Amino acid sequence: VAKLCVCDLLVAQCDVNCCCDPDCNAADFSLFTTCSVPIVTGDSHLCSQKAAIYSLDVEANPPERIFKLIDQVNPSLFCIHATNYEQALSFRSPEMPTSENFDQLLKRFSSAAFSAEPDSWNRNTDAQNPPDANETYRYEYGVPIQTVDAFLRLPSPVVSSWCSDANPAGFLVNQATKCTRSVNVEKCGDVQAVSMLFYINSSILAKWHEFVFQVNITVQSITFQSLNGTQTLLNGSDVLRLPVILDELCVNVVFGVSYHVTYTGAGEIIEAAASFVLGAINKEAFSIQQSFQISFTQVNTKPVPLSGNPGYVVGLPVRAGFRPQGYPFPGEILFAALNSNKYSQLTILQSASNQDCLAAQGARAPILFGYNMMSGCKLRITAATKCQPLTQTLLDLLKGQSFPEYVASFGNSQAQDVLDWVPITHLHTSEQRISNAFQSSCQIPVSLEIEVKWTKYGSLVNPQARIVNVTASITTTPLKQLPPGRERIIPVTSSVVFTDISSPAEPGYKAWPTINVKLPFDFFFPFV
Amino acid sequence: ETLNNGHQLSSLPLQMLFYVNGIYYLFYFLATLAMIVYKSQVFSYPDDFLAPDLTLLFIMAILEVLRLYLGSKGNLTEEEGPLGLSLAISVGSVILSVYFLVWQTYVLKADVIINAVLLLTYGLESVLKVIAIAAFVS
Repeated sequence: VAKLCVCDLLVAQCDVNCCCDPDCNAADFSLFTTCSVPIVTGDSHLCSQKAAIYSLDVEANPPERIFKLIDQVNPSLFCIHATNYEQALSFRSPEMPTSENFDQLLKRFSSAAFSAEPDSWNRNTDAQNPPDANETYRYEYGVPIQTVDAFLRLPSPVVSSWCSDANPAGFLVNQATKCTRSVNVEKCGDVQAVSMLFYINSSILAKWHEFVFQVNITVQSITFQSLNGTQTLLNGSDVLRLPVILDELCVNVVFGVSYHVTYTGAGEIIEAAASFVLGAINKEAFSIQQSFQISFTQVNTKPVPLSGNPGYVVGLPVRAGFRPQGYPFPGEILFAALNSNKYSQLTILQSASNQDCLAAQGARAPILFGYNMMSGCKLRITAATKCQPLTQTLLDLLKGQSFPEYVASFGNSQAQDVLDWVPITHLHTSEQRISNAFQSSCQIPVSLEIEVKWTKYGSLVNPQARIVNVTASITTTPLKQLPPGRERIIPVTSSVVFTDISSPAEPGYKAWPTINVKLPFDFFFPFV
Repeated sequence: ETLNNGHQLSSLPLQMLFYVNGIYYLFYFLATLAMIVYKSQVFSYPDDFLAPDLTLLFIMAILEVLRLYLGSKGNLTEEEGPLGLSLAISVGSVILSVYFLVWQTYVLKADVIINAVLLLTYGLESVLKVIAIAAFVS
C-alpha cells in the first residue's frame, strides 16, 4: 500500500500535488498546496488493513509532507476476516442508476474514456491549462509554416489567375501552383515578387511558435531560362542574383521557385532549400507566369514520390523497379531507385504526330494507374532491312530502354519489402497461322500489350487498389521478304489495359429472427 | 430420597446441553444462511463457490438433527449405542464447523464468533458424552 500511487502519472517526473509520488523530493513537496490523494487503503470491507496517509504540514516553513502507515480497523461485525477466493475483492459491483445519480453517471461514463473523478479533475486541469497550450511546439499536418515575419508564402491564383501572396505553405502539404504576375520592365528591380530575395528573405521557424531556432532558406540551384525557352543549369549557385536591366531586357527575373523542406518525425523543420528558375523579360511583356512548388522530405529518407498510400490512386504512375545484379539471395532483394529515375518507370511508346516509329524514338509516356492507353506508330520497311536489327529496334521501341522486371503492388511499397513487388510475366505469341509454321524465317514483334490486373483490397468502405498481376505479351508476325524496290508499312502498336479482378460481393442473408424470452429481473422478488 | 433410587445414569448436564445446542443451532443455521445471502449481494460470489457453501450448510443441518436426536435418545434410554453414533456424527459436525470457520469463501467476523461458540459447545458435549458412555458401559 505504501508503493501504490494513483496520482503518479508522469514517469520519472514529479506530479503536481501528488504527495505519494516517489519522483518528488522535499523541494517539490514544499511547493504543493494540498495533497490530491490523502489516503491509500485496500478494500475497506476487510477487518484490518494497512493504510498510507499523506498530508501536508503547512505550518512548517517550508511545508513538508507527512507520511504515516497505520492499521485501519473496520469495527463492523460483518467485516471480512478472511477469504478463500483470490479474486474476491477485485470486482466492484457497479452503481445502479437512479434518478439522483443519473446525471453524474452520464457525465462520467458517456464519453469514449471514463473519467475517474469528475469534480476534482476540473479543479486541477484549470490550473494546468495555460502551460498546456504552449506544450505543442511541433508542426502538424496542414499548419502554415511560420517564418520570422509571418509565414512561408506560396503565391497562387485566388479568384483570377493573378498571383496572391497571402497563400501560406502548409506543413507536409505538397503543393504546386502557377499564377500570373504583372511586371514592368522599367521598374525591374522594384517589383519585389520577381526578385530572389523575396523568396529567401525570412528564415523559417524550426518549431511552431518558437523563435529560438530558425532555419535559413538556402539556394539549392539556379536555372536560367532564355527567351526562347531553353533552360541551362548554373554552376556555383550561392550568389544571390537580383533583377537588373541589361540591354533593354530585365534579367534575373524569377519565373519559378521550388522549395524542398526537410523535416523530422517530431514535427520540426531542419532544412529548407529553394531552387530558382530565372529568366529575362523584354519591354513588351507586361505579365509573366510564375510557378511555385513545395515538397517535403523526412530526414534520412530518400524522396520517392508515392503513387498512393497504400492503394494506387488513379492517375499516378505505376511504380516499377529492377532487381540489381549481384544480389542473388532472394531474401535480400533491393530495388533500384524508382520514380525519381525516369528510366526505370513503366512506360509505353508515345505516339508522335508524324507516326513514324524511327523518328519518334525516345519519346515515352509513363503508364498511369487506371488509364488504359493505346499508342502506335508506322514502320516502313524496305527490301534491304535485315531481320535481326529490325527485331532489336522494334523491341527497343516497344519496351523502351530499360523495361522493369517488377511492379509495386501497392502505391507505397518500399524497396526492401520483397513480397510487395509483382514480377512482370512475359508472353510471346505469334501471329502466323499454323500452316505456315516452317515458312517464316523472321519474326518481328509488332505489338506489345501490357495487361495489369488489379483488385480491391482492404475494407469495403475504403477499398485500396492493389496490383496483382502484370503480363506483357509481345505478338510477333513473320517478315516476308519483299521484292527489291518495294516498301511496306507495318503498324506497331502498344497498349496498356487495367482490369479489375476484384471478387464480386457475396450475398449475405439476415439471421432468422429468434424468440427472445427472458424472465424479468425481479421475478423471484421476495427471495432475492 | 432420590427419585429412582439413585440408579440414574443419564447425564443431566448432557441433556441440558443438547437442549441449548438445539436452540443455538437453529439460530446458527438461520444466521449463516442470512449471511451467505448478504455476501452474495454485496461481494462477488460466483456460483461455483456459492453452491458448495450452501450444500454443506444443509448437510450440517441434517447431521445436527440426527446427532441431537440420537444423542438425546441414547442419553435418556441409557444406551451407549446411539450415544456412540452421536459421538461419531459429532466428528463430522466439527469438521463442517471448522470449514465454516476457516475454509468458507468469505469468513466474516460474525462467522468467526458463532462458529467458535459452536465448536466450544461441541467440545463440551463430546466430553460429557464420553463420560456418559463410560457410565453406561460399566
